[in-house]
Amino acid sequence: MKIFITDGTATAFFTAVFYAYKENNCIITSDNSIQLTFDSEVIRITGDKDKNERVQNAILKYDEYAVDDVIFALRSGSTKKEQIAFGYLKVLLEKKSPISKMLSIPQVIDFNEAMRKITGESHMCKGFLRFTETHEGVLYAPYSPDNDITDLLMPHFAKRFNGEKFVIHDVKRNIAGIYNREEWITCYAGEAEIRLSESENFFKNLWKKYYNCVNIAERPHIKQMKDYMPVRYWKFMPEKNGN
Amino acid sequence: MIDEEKLGILVEGAKYDVSCSSSGSRRANVKGGMGNGSGSGICHSFTPDGRCISLLKILMSNDCIYDCEYCPNRRSADVRRARLIPDEICELVINFYKRNYIEGLFLSSAVFDNPDKTMELLYQTVLKLRKVYNFNGYIHLKGIPHADPATVMKAARLADRMSYNIELPSEQSLKLLAPQKTKQSLLLPMKGLNEAIEYDKQNKVKHSKVLPAGQTTQMIIGASPESDGQILKLTEALYTNMRLRRVYYSSYAPVVKSNKLPSVGAGLLREHRLYQADWLIRFYGFTVSEICNESENLSPDYDPKCAWALKNMHLFPIEINTAPLEMLLRVPGIGAKSAYRITEARRFCALSFDNLAKMRIVLKRARHFITCKGKFYGSDSFSQVKTSLLIAGGVNEQISMFSDSSTAVSALTGEI
Repeated sequence: MKIFITDGTATAFFTAVFYAYKENNCIITSDNSIQLTFDSEVIRITGDKDKNERVQNAILKYDEYAVDDVIFALRSGSTKKEQIAFGYLKVLLEKKSPISKMLSIPQVIDFNEAMRKITGESHMCKGFLRFTETHEGVLYAPYSPDNDITDLLMPHFAKRFNGEKFVIHDVKRNIAGIYNREEWITCYAGEAEIRLSESENFFKNLWKKYYNCVNIAERPHIKQMKDYMPVRYWKFMPEKNGN
Repeated sequence: MIDEEKLGILVEGAKYDVSCSSSGSRRANVKGGMGNGSGSGICHSFTPDGRCISLLKILMSNDCIYDCEYCPNRRSADVRRARLIPDEICELVINFYKRNYIEGLFLSSAVFDNPDKTMELLYQTVLKLRKVYNFNGYIHLKGIPHADPATVMKAARLADRMSYNIELPSEQSLKLLAPQKTKQSLLLPMKGLNEAIEYDKQNKVKHSKVLPAGQTTQMIIGASPESDGQILKLTEALYTNMRLRRVYYSSYAPVVKSNKLPSVGAGLLREHRLYQADWLIRFYGFTVSEICNESENLSPDYDPKCAWALKNMHLFPIEINTAPLEMLLRVPGIGAKSAYRITEARRFCALSFDNLAKMRIVLKRARHFITCKGKFYGSDSFSQVKTSLLIAGGVNEQISMFSDSSTAVSALTGEI
């Protein structure tokens, strides 16, 4: 079986689709640690501008939203993301008309689920992200999301904290979103030392006090708390991480 | 500046207020300003009781001139008192908000000095937040009964949502337990605000609209003898006549000892069932008379939709591929999202039972009420259906007390 290993970019993915589409049974992935079997044939794919465009045009013929949807789904943190997107595209090219609402097709279900997880997480992070104020008055929010969503969060916070400078730092992918009161960009994050403002601890402690007071201790329901606010997000939340 | 002790006192007094929703307002930020509204609402944290924190819920003062039986802050209660000045509240809000701890402010207060002065200071706080601190995030303001309507209206042009708590489900109970509040002191301002909202809507007002996220209310369940049927009738009237966005129920807990109050709490199950019924009224096209007779209580064993379906077995089973959306919504176990998925998917091909399972439609209860391509997968025996619904919904639910987060517990979150 052929295994196409891409460099993780969308261009490489569409290029891989160009080759993989003709195969009966193959895998596209960007996961370098994928388990190989005795009959695996590894093919490394880097982006090819021409093939990328040809595949995209073929897709756009049948569904004007599908390319954007696929690029969106590739933000997923799942190691199967390329395979899920490929499965979706195969069905689309076979049906030759938009399939996003054909909700009983397994490939569509998986693809929509991957997209839902990304939208869902970016919505959750709009709430769970925590900023600390630095000595220079810049707001700094480190976090470690499952999916690559930093540039999805930036417009939301740029509107909301219009008059503030802030940085959202995905420590897992080392991506930083930076806003300077005018516009935002994302880039690879370098090393920086964070010095907190003088009032930071004061407000952090008031927040923790608030969190403890607003709870109704006679009605514990830990499971529901964890369902709504998964434990993996607690690390950066002062009311939950014990710092 | 506010200290931890004061914060503790004033949050303890506010925490029983159920509403924490921050949805319904899309207030835009201004250049250089702080905050905006998010249409869907955002939850910022969850407490160990499973409730969401969306807003900073706080009292301006807990020093009350009223003596409502059920209230821990009533005049005759022996509790520590505290009061904040507008600037203290504003600074707290801004500093919490910019760290993304909260989505906005839920400001309430005990009635200190007199209703007019309390309302005036609440208004001053909101005014300061909006104009001096340039804050455009969500503000939910509690209305003070008997306060000057002009102040209320000024505040309503700055806040996103206001609420007058009707406190108890009937006038007699209100007289008995909250003698200083009258039905009129709660319903008249509600009506006035509703008219102002309606006026803005009719005249397509764009700027400083009155209460873009509308009004809500809250009542205590189980402190007085009203039946669920009565409570739901009242709820329905509030939704139609006052156009409220939400009615919140708060199950009575004996925090305060009084011979006018029951010594045992109403329990969370009753509250849960009322919320389920409330959802059916708002999103599923049910009327109160279908769900519950005026003198009856909701069944503790079955959720209200199951209970309705069991009484209306002659309408079922329905064919999943042809039934109209309104009917799909009435199938136990099929919610709004599932119904939508079914109507979308069946446009392209006829759905089998297997398809539904793959689409993650929960069939535990639904299978007794549907056919797929004419085939029935449920049980023919009515008593078996009853038992299976009991296991699927009722009994489990009571044991784990709403630990299934997919059901009506979203009542407690800040999102729609």
